Amino acid sequence: MTETTKPRAPFAPWDRRELPGLFAVEESARRVGNYKWAEMRLFEVLGGWVATIPELDVKLMLGRHTYHHAWHAELWHKRLPELREMNPDRLTVPPNDAFVTFMDAIREPEAPELTIEKLVGVYRVLIPRFIAVYTYHLNGTSTITDAPTIRSLKFALQDEFDDWRDGEMLLQSLIDTPEKVERAGRRQMDLERLYLVSGGIAGPGSLGEPVEEVRVS
Amino acid sequence: MKKMLPESELARDERFVRTNIEDRLFDPRGPKVAQRNTGPARMGVDRPAAGERSRSLMHGIFVGEIQALEGAGRTCYDFDDETAPFQLKLDMARQCWDESRHCEISVKLGDHMGAEIGEYTESTFLFAAACNPDPVLRLCGVNRALEGLAIDVFNSMKDFGNESGDPVLEFCEDWMLADEVTHVKMGSDWLRRLTATDPERRERALEFQRTVDAIFNLGGFRGEDDENPIQLARNFRRLAGFTDDENDSLAALARESTVQAREMAEAASAALHASAQGS
Ligand SMILES: [Fe+2]
Ligand SMILES: [Fe+2]
Repeated sequence: MTETTKPRAPFAPWDRRELPGLFAVEESARRVGNYKWAEMRLFEVLGGWVATIPELDVKLMLGRHTYHHAWHAELWHKRLPELREMNPDRLTVPPNDAFVTFMDAIREPEAPELTIEKLVGVYRVLIPRFIAVYTYHLNGTSTITDAPTIRSLKFALQDEFDDWRDGEMLLQSLIDTPEKVERAGRRQMDLERLYLVSGGIAGPGSLGEPVEEVRVS
Repeated sequence: MKKMLPESELARDERFVRTNIEDRLFDPRGPKVAQRNTGPARMGVDRPAAGERSRSLMHGIFVGEIQALEGAGRTCYDFDDETAPFQLKLDMARQCWDESRHCEISVKLGDHMGAEIGEYTESTFLFAAACNPDPVLRLCGVNRALEGLAIDVFNSMKDFGNESGDPVLEFCEDWMLADEVTHVKMGSDWLRRLTATDPERRERALEFQRTVDAIFNLGGFRGEDDENPIQLARNFRRLAGFTDDENDSLAALARESTVQAREMAEAASAALHASAQGS
């Protein structure tokens, strides 16, 4: 028979969750608003590109990924009021103008010959950074007080990893000449420079280190 | 990337052959074909050309799914947050995923039925309806008219799969049908929400929908008689938010188009006959 009155600790011995975390409510909300803005700009352009891409496998993959990022934006949209932001639009903003410039550059290619440029921007530059920024938030936030954000971060991260692999594999199969290797490399470098100036998806400090203002000549 | 991509810029690989709907309707071979009495046009397993017709229709579905994917994708991108609300874009993103699966399903069904990509032509009319600059009109033309047509087509194909003893075809069409009902419902819901205080805009959107519907009734393609290859799926349409009045008027429109098509075919056939005797 189970003894029902014997006291047990509220945390099982293997449950190592702790109260302290890096972010206050306001900071968590600010970051979540930045995530939502970036996920929105990403899902819109993936959807828009579908019609401009002649490669059927890439076209169909983008259709699938469009929804993943829209769903992440929706998760963040729903989280904002729970972080005391009753007007989610107020915090659905980019961290700074430099990040807008970076996202505009990601979204710029249009011509059907530019599939490599489109995919490099998303799968070699932006998505790896989503993975980094989400992981930083996941590892740094309070595992008890901010558990709802952690749950959403884990769902989003699962998609980001899967999508990154899908995109990277298609890129590897599309980059089949030394010239294309160079094209991909150049595109990646240009975008990484712009990203550096912005400080990241959540601005300077996206990965915790306070970053000095970076100038790229 | 610019907003609003014209139909002519849709990207395809070299297998695809583009045609336009006028070419198909005014194909000079049409009247000659119409002279032959080939019996009821409804998809039936006992028809000699059933295999070929179902393959051709499956290819049409495949290219339609690509364009539905492209159209929903463009609606995510073409409008700013004020013109198209966030939730509407989320619905369109969800539709992208669904249409992407429909492309995958139709490619595999095409293989299963013996059709190859590019074996038949592609007309890009569906995407043209998705280029409307007003998101409400776009959703009425695409989600209500064209996805409504998809409900009719998938239901006819599902019946054909059932009658021909093809469980793979029946199974897949049933799944796609479920998604299309959802897409039509999205169109109906957004029409109601975005035009709640603007009856004039609602009327314009419904007019656009009727125009698109009329084009796909042309030549008696859809209706409720044996003469129509695609049958109106009233029950599924009801599920998707069409009222009985809407279904009735669509059926009436379809009957008119069938009568017109019959008269045109008779006139063309008489003209051909007369010219043959004169020569
Ligand atoms: Fe579809
Ligand atoms: Fe659909």
